[in-house]
Parts: sequence; structure tokens; C-alpha cells
Amino acid sequence: MRDDHYAPGTVTALLETDHVTAPTRQILLERLAQNPAAAPRFFDGTAFELLRMVSARLIPQPHPARCIDLAGLLDTQLLESPGKGWRYDSLPPDDQAFRVGLQGIHETSVEMFAQPFTALNEREQIAVLTAVQKGIAPGAIWQQLPANRFFEELLAALVVIYYAHPWSQEDIGVVAMADKQGWHSIGLDELETIEPVALNKRTHDTAGKF
Amino acid sequence: MRRYALEEDIDAVVIGTGAGGAPLLARLARAGLKIVALEAGKHWAPARDFATDEYSQSKLFWTEERLSAGLDPVPFGSNNSGTGVGGSTLHYTAYVPRPQPDDFQLYTEFGKGVNWPIGYQDLQPYYEELEQFLGVSGPARYPWGAPRRLAYPLAPLPLNGAAQLMQRGCDLLGIRSAPAPNAAVSAPYFQEGLGWRAACTNRGFCQAGCTTGAKASMDVTYIPLAIRYGAEVRAESFVTQLAIDQSGRVSGVIYEHDGVEHRQKCRNVFLCAGAIETPRLLLINQLANSSGQVGQNFMVHTGMQVWGQFEEEVRPYKGIPGALISEDTHRPVAADFAGGYLLQSIGIMPVTYATQLARGRGWWGETLTQCMRGYNHTAGINILGDCLPYAENFLELSGEKDGRGLPKPRIHFSFGENERRLTAHAEKIMREIWQLAGAQDIWSYNRGPHTIGTCRMGAHARDAVVNSEGQSFDIPNLYIADNSIFPSALSANPALTIMALSLRIADRFLASII
Repeated sequence: MRDDHYAPGTVTALLETDHVTAPTRQILLERLAQNPAAAPRFFDGTAFELLRMVSARLIPQPHPARCIDLAGLLDTQLLESPGKGWRYDSLPPDDQAFRVGLQGIHETSVEMFAQPFTALNEREQIAVLTAVQKGIAPGAIWQQLPANRFFEELLAALVVIYYAHPWSQEDIGVVAMADKQGWHSIGLDELETIEPVALNKRTHDTAGKF
Repeated sequence: MRRYALEEDIDAVVIGTGAGGAPLLARLARAGLKIVALEAGKHWAPARDFATDEYSQSKLFWTEERLSAGLDPVPFGSNNSGTGVGGSTLHYTAYVPRPQPDDFQLYTEFGKGVNWPIGYQDLQPYYEELEQFLGVSGPARYPWGAPRRLAYPLAPLPLNGAAQLMQRGCDLLGIRSAPAPNAAVSAPYFQEGLGWRAACTNRGFCQAGCTTGAKASMDVTYIPLAIRYGAEVRAESFVTQLAIDQSGRVSGVIYEHDGVEHRQKCRNVFLCAGAIETPRLLLINQLANSSGQVGQNFMVHTGMQVWGQFEEEVRPYKGIPGALISEDTHRPVAADFAGGYLLQSIGIMPVTYATQLARGRGWWGETLTQCMRGYNHTAGINILGDCLPYAENFLELSGEKDGRGLPKPRIHFSFGENERRLTAHAEKIMREIWQLAGAQDIWSYNRGPHTIGTCRMGAHARDAVVNSEGQSFDIPNLYIADNSIFPSALSANPALTIMALSLRIADRFLASII
């Protein structure tokens, strides 16, 4: 596998330059300044704590000091977003699915390891989430709510929130937002001067080592 | 912009301003007709309102909820359903190959699917007109399909990394490829009704909206032309009802704007709301359905993508996403399915790719985040292939209500045996191309892009909703001009054909009222 991550600060520094349009800068600076409410508004406290632990397992973040609050942002999104335009017919509306589904993860944890998810170690948490994803998790809730579909929706929602954030874009080496002048070097191995070189290419060339 | 009064008996109301509504809006306005377009979404100013950001640009998607059922439930919203003046063309990638003549005669050729009541020859003049009007960039001599009377007006857009890789693999495999026809201008282009459109800057975020006007979305092409000719465009106007008079004709359109209900009097209605909202409106109003075909035969395209990671830097956010095409697979030799498909190279935006890894591969944890660190080395190929109509694939009204109290639509979709065989054939070829091009970690993502069918056009009132001129068999002053009238999916991206049908329906209408 390739690893093209940038140094922290690479993308955020670009946002201040003339390579980014005003609407793009505004949106991304707002996103960087986003501060979800101290207390959840959509989920109750217990469900929210569970969601925080699940989010950390689903999307491990590389820099503890710059951790995107995935659970907090999802909490806000579920209250404020107009929705994504569709849902699986086998799932109830999002507000029900997310609340009930998290309760289902709790149930499965208790069934499998006799403890709440938040008290499980990493290996156990992964076992619970894997069972939910595969649709083989024990628990009464999954008789009503298809576990695999719920898992897919939860994962997709978190992935969208995470990879829309400038910090995660530094982690994957993306400067797509710096396109005010357009792109002129677009062929294979062609970089614009404003496209930073990935960290691992600056230190040692890892070409060919997948 | 000219304004019309609600009580003025105008010539026509057009519902929807995408690839179906906008061309005929301009055509009818040019003929001097008094005409109003109603669009559910906003009228954006892209340079001011659009960011290079997938998350916030989801405002271009139709986000009202649809229920997806069947064995292959179709995701809606992103990539297949737009809102705003310009409709889905605001977020299409502007890939505009023509269908081939045999696509319209699938039943004759294979004994499967259906024939269209019109043929390629009926649409050819419109394809020519559209390519010139929109400013399509493409190869000087197109290698496949019917001979061309006119070349594309502009040189091809430059090949990005994904296109170069697909070209490499195709060359090694003996498959012909060519720069693809794209409705984004490779050089400054004068647009009647608007002015000069600047050349494409290779942003690669076409699906998140074009900020420069290089992409031929309707808001920079037919909409300004229509307004110049005297059409009125009312944005943020959601149609809920068609008023029917005692003779059974449409006499007005009822819509909501800013929470207030309005009624526009009119002599004709052109319904161009797409293959979900068009049948939904008719079913809610119980109109134009003596055939029982409204909502039936919902289709997508076969659209599998095959992805790989390469040693080279691809940077898939740069360049027009679909820069290369091959139609060598239009009618594969010894195929075990009806129809065929085209191949295209694809770039992809990062959030979209991450979502596909999550939904398609089921990846999470370090597996996901590590794979995404190779995003800059990622390139894709996808197919765009035919999809047959089936009785078990349809749209119905569910018992669940939306915010307006109207029933949400439920859409049943499952790929049939023909689509599975076609996709298996295509996956093998795409994997071969990628292996020869040097890809590692090759994986496939099956999907069904576009929404098609649900108000089939046909020769007879008993089994079709509209005739070959888009006119309802039941309500003579109601016309449908969008992807819902396609009898079969065709093996080409739909936007160009939707526009061609729109212009043809407008011309036939004008001929009928003189």
C-alpha cells in the first residue's frame, strides 16, 4: 500500500493562500473551527459515549492532538442535515436507525462478552463490530433492524464526516481544494509546484514497496 | 427576466430545468411562446456559491428521502439526482457519447428488452446540434458508431493519470481507445445568450459543481438562452399538483414557493422532473396512467467500476474524470448477453472514494485509513452498459410521508441475469486492463448509475405512458421529456439523449400547434 500523507499543517497553510477560492476557504475554515456542542443533543449521554468509542474503532485517527470529533459532528448532522436522499427500505428513518442501532451494539457486547461495549478491550470491540457488520451479531434488536445495513450506514456517515475535514486530507495527501488557478500538470507523476510532495517521498523513496 | 402573472393563460409550464426541461424551454421561448419553468431547487451563482468541497456541495443533490428496495437497492441523491436550476447537469461529469443505432433496436437484434418507437436517425440531427451548442470536446474522428457528418467543435480535453493508465492497458490488450467526448470546453467558447465560457481548468470536481462555467450544465447554456428569449424561470418552486379541467386537460400547475401555494394557469405542461419525481407526481395525482405503466420498468445502467493502485502518482482529483473512452465492447464477440457497454477511465474525489471503500469493500479501521493514504495513486475504469426493463423493477408510492405530507417513493431494483452476465464480462476485461497497466490491489465496485424508465414511451396507449413525441396518451396537453420516457437504458450515458429528446419533443410540439 502507498502512503502519501503530508505533514500536519500542509493543507491548513494552503487555505490562507491565493490558490484557494473565497467560497472554498470560507467553507473549510468554518469546518476547522467547528466545535460541536459540549453535550450531545441528538443522542443521550450513554449512547453518545458508545458512539465515541465505536467511531474511534471504525476510523482511528493519526494525531491525538488533532482528533476530529466524529461523534459530535454526527450528532449535529443528525439534527440539522436535510438527509442524503435515500435509505435502505429495510431500515427505519435515520433518527430511529442510529439510536436503535447503537443500542443493538450495546446488546451484542453484553451477549458476547457480558459487558458494555465501552468496557471492552480493543480485540473484543473489533469482534463485536465485525459481527454486526457481517449481520451475525447476537441480540434481539437485530431481529428488527438489519445489522449489516445499519453498520454500513453508520460507517458511511462517519467516513464522509472524516474525509471532508482538512486534517484528514493532510493524512492522505490531498490538496484538491487549492484549485483556484486550475491544474495544468495532470498526467502521471506530474505535480504542480503547489502540490506538496508526500512526506515519505521527501525522506526516502518507497516506490515499488506496496 | 420577463415575468408572467399567475392568472395569465401562458402557453406552457415546464417542470424541472435539467437536461430534460432546459433545452425545450429555450426552444419554445425562441418560438415566441409564453413559458414558465418551475424548478424545485435554487438558482446558484457557481463562482460565488460553489466550493471545492464534496460535503458542502451535496446541496446540489436531491436530498428528499427515497426508499430503496430490491436485491440491489439503488442509492439516490449523489451522482444520480440533482436539484437547482440546471438539475442533475449541475453535478454530471459531462460525459456525452452518443448511443449507437443498434441500441434503439435491442429487441430486433436480441429478442430481449424492447425497441424504441424512434430510432437513431430521429435523434441524429439533435445530437449534432447539441454537440455544437454545448461545446463538446472530443476526438477529430470518432472511431465507433454511425459515421459523423460534423466533427466535435473542440479538441479533446487533456488525458489525466487515469486515462493514461487505461490507454496503456488497452494498448497492451489490443483494445482501441480514444479521448472521450466531454461537454466541457477545451478552449474558450462563445455561448449564445451568455457570452464567453472560459476553457476547462481541469479541476476534476465536476460532480461537486463546476465553478468556472466550462462544463455545459444547463445553467450556463440553455437556461440563459431561454431567459433571453423571454422564458421565466421560477426557482425554489416545488410542484405538488396538476389541475385538470372538465375536459380532462391540464389547466394549471400548483406549486409551493416559500411555504405559500401558487397556481399557474397554462395551456400545456412539460413534465421534466426525472425518472423518480415525474412518475411520483403522476401517481400522487393519479394522472396519465390508463396503461398502468407509470412507475414501471425502472432501470439504471450497468456501471461497475474497477479500481487499482499504481506506482505512479495519479492524483485522481485532477482533470475531467472520464477522459478516455473505448466502445470496442459495444457488441462483444460471442457474448452471452444482450446489448453491450462502453469503457471509460475515471478519476474520483476523495470523500466519494472513501465512501465506496466503506460501502463496497466494507473496510474500516486501519485497513481503511491506510488504503486512503494511497488515494493519490488510485485510478479507475468503469463501464456504462445497457440495462433491460423488468416488471419487478418499479417505483411505487410508500405509506411514509415527506415533510409536505406527500408519500415518499419506494423504488424496487434488482439486476437481472442479462446485467449480471454483462457485468461479469466487463469485470474480466477491466481487471485485465488494470493488470497490464501495472495496478496493485485491484478491486471492483458494482453500482447502477442514473435513473431511467418509469414513464415509457411507446407506440400504443395500452402499454406506454407517452407516444414517440412525448405526449401523454391520456392527457393530450401533457408532455414528458426526461429520462423517464426511455424504453430501455441504451449503452451510453443518458444526458445527451435526454437533451436530444427534449429538443425533438419541442420541435414536434411546435409543428403541431402551427
